Amino acid sequence: MSAARDCRIVVAGLGGQGVLFCTRLLAETALAMGWPALTSETHGMAQRGGSVVASLKIGLHRSALVLSGSADLLLSLDQGEACRNLSSLAPGGHCLSAATQPWSEQLRAVAEQAGVGLHSVDAAGIALSLGAPVLANIALLGALGELPFAPVPGDQLERVLRRRSPPRLLEGNLAALAGGRRAVREQR
Amino acid sequence: MANCRLLMGNEAIGLGLVQFGCRVAAAYPGTPSSEVLPAVVRFARQLQQPTYSEWSVNERVAAETAIAAAWAGRRAACIMKQVGLNVASDPVMSAAYTGVRAGLVLVVADDPGPHSSQTEQDTRLFGLFAKIPVLDPSSPEEARRMVGTAFEISERHQLPVILRLTTRIAHGREGVEVVLPEPVPRFEEAEPEDGKQQRVLPRDPGRWAATPRHRYSLHVQLVEKLRTIAEEAAASSDNLRSGPECAPLGIIAAGHAFAVTSDLLRLLGCSESLPMLRVAMPHPLPLALVQDFQARCERLLVLEDCDATIELQLPDRRRVHGRLDGTVPAAGELDPEALLAVLLAALERADLPHERPPQPLQALMEQVSSPPVKPPTLCPGCGHRTTFYALRRAFPKNTIFTGDIGCYTLGISLRAVDTVLAMGAAVGMASGFYRVLAQEGRQDPVVGTIGDSTFLHAGIPGLLNAVYVDSRFVLVILDNGTTAMTGGQPTPATGIRADGTMGKQVSIRALVDACGVQFVREIDARDVRGIRAVARQALEYTRQPDGGPAVIIARYPCLVANRGLPPEDRQRVEVNERCNGCELCVTDFQCPALSMDERQEVVLIDRMLCVDCGACLQVCARKAFVPVDPEGGAK
Repeated sequence: MSAARDCRIVVAGLGGQGVLFCTRLLAETALAMGWPALTSETHGMAQRGGSVVASLKIGLHRSALVLSGSADLLLSLDQGEACRNLSSLAPGGHCLSAATQPWSEQLRAVAEQAGVGLHSVDAAGIALSLGAPVLANIALLGALGELPFAPVPGDQLERVLRRRSPPRLLEGNLAALAGGRRAVREQR
Repeated sequence: MANCRLLMGNEAIGLGLVQFGCRVAAAYPGTPSSEVLPAVVRFARQLQQPTYSEWSVNERVAAETAIAAAWAGRRAACIMKQVGLNVASDPVMSAAYTGVRAGLVLVVADDPGPHSSQTEQDTRLFGLFAKIPVLDPSSPEEARRMVGTAFEISERHQLPVILRLTTRIAHGREGVEVVLPEPVPRFEEAEPEDGKQQRVLPRDPGRWAATPRHRYSLHVQLVEKLRTIAEEAAASSDNLRSGPECAPLGIIAAGHAFAVTSDLLRLLGCSESLPMLRVAMPHPLPLALVQDFQARCERLLVLEDCDATIELQLPDRRRVHGRLDGTVPAAGELDPEALLAVLLAALERADLPHERPPQPLQALMEQVSSPPVKPPTLCPGCGHRTTFYALRRAFPKNTIFTGDIGCYTLGISLRAVDTVLAMGAAVGMASGFYRVLAQEGRQDPVVGTIGDSTFLHAGIPGLLNAVYVDSRFVLVILDNGTTAMTGGQPTPATGIRADGTMGKQVSIRALVDACGVQFVREIDARDVRGIRAVARQALEYTRQPDGGPAVIIARYPCLVANRGLPPEDRQRVEVNERCNGCELCVTDFQCPALSMDERQEVVLIDRMLCVDCGACLQVCARKAFVPVDPEGGAK
């Protein structure tokens, strides 16, 4: 057991994209590291294709909710939702979003001024190339694991994903994770 | 921590119910409470405990089932959302007076915000009203532990106990140990001396069948029970007290508001300098403890979710700040942003030093246009969409559409839902609107829509009443074979029980017939033309002298519950050159897979969202949607 990172994370996206799955996988990875983790999700009406936000805190906290402007990481499955939730980040925080287009000039300028890192990966493209659009969320997690601001180590994330995946989905899940990882390496 | 699992608050409670010896658990699904019962089923199996679980037809029946079990000397629980308690309130209020033998826990989930509910009602206030003790946990693991506390209090004092959750506790997750606890003291029957089995309910009509004469003395006993419980609660180690003994400002907090406040005080560097009292049981309020705390603080700030339950019970509200004096917003969830504003104002008023809170990027972000919050929509391929689309076209503009609670509430945006009041209200309100119109000799059609689960829950009395008083309206039962909005729980019409075994199927058609409705048609929910035709016949029938209310049952299975469209129903569609960009399919049919191209000239199909249901083929008058073979080429 290593000392817990103190980390506040917001996960955003649209209903059905796997916001809850990503949040849960990150939290389970933290637990596997022996770190306390708390999450908060939205269910019911809010899940039907609409904007969905979940939050995750690693370390000694009592509530999973992240105060606006205090998040270390914003992970988004949709670029529009990333923009909408960017103000959840603290100065020095990072946003990683699934995206098919580059960030707008205006947004880059704002992020730079605020000291916030903007990162993106074409998670949908990776998932489509594997023939399974639903895997975009796992591709995004693969990319996250490669980045220096990842809240949990990428290899641990993979270990938990292996444990969590039913046999028939394991191969696809691992391919998506590797695809996301590779995309980050190629960007370097 | 070998068995440490990341459990949702609701799952942790399900685990707790099994661990603390619950024998009968009954529930009706409702966000944010729906995951408790499936967890009871799962953990009873995993930990090999004989807990019976059922999805009851509604909360009232669930409550009566659980109350009977507790009267019979078996630990029992009833699980529901806050508005479900309104439905169950009749037996629950009465059970407070009669009390129970074995422990009875009512797990009730409130929804401050509200995120997925009609009201922000505070179940703790309901506890005050019904004279039932209420526990208010601040985390998922604590909610699990408090199931045990609730059973203990319930058995010691022989009355029901409410375990109140809020959305953030119910749908929060944290690491929880999945272990079987040491055997807990249970309600045990004395062994019969003659070897004969005893009745599970000892004869005591003054209690179990109490008439008003007995009710008075039961009420006196209940008040005495609450007084004792409040005294005991003052000494409970579940109340958390931190910070200095005396200070210019002290905080009393409960539930999730306590969790958020703790995190914020740490952020503001005030954890050590401000006294804080977390009250575990907001009703009956442990007055000795609270008054002792209050006496040591010059001012008191009370932070609690939903309403002013604790604040209202304080005998001395001078120098008390909370919801009643407007310090805390009167409505809405106490999320970190709302509580930060309250705390900063209170700290400044008391002239107390604190660290600066993080400066959000808000101001900077205002320079950048970001997309609006995307509202929820019916799924692509959903049978409700085609039904609403057809109904909108079958009836004239002056039609009153009464709606109900479920996914199909989203028919609002398709302009086929004008009202949403409460479970089952589509039927009773259709009758009410008809009365007003009939009185004035008007013929405006009234059309109600209600889901299958909601119809079975609360729609039947309204329908038989309409037959009885001869109210003329068309009721469309949207039968997707499941309780979709809350996650696809089975209904009596499926016959599937909570543990997956088969009970008996209840026929919605037979129920409608039995209510005395003479015009009943069953139709495929995706058949736009068919529904339009049947809807017109139904309207016609309601206007005949010897007519009556008419019912259409529109059926198509929920795609979410069935994990997608069955292959035989798939039809790939493309847009051809006939599309003139009129946008009607986007604005009136509102399939999420359809959108206009950037130049607003033609409609586009998003292949990531499209499920190949082919429904849009029925929508375009120009026939710009054409069926194609998925392999390519027109059919």
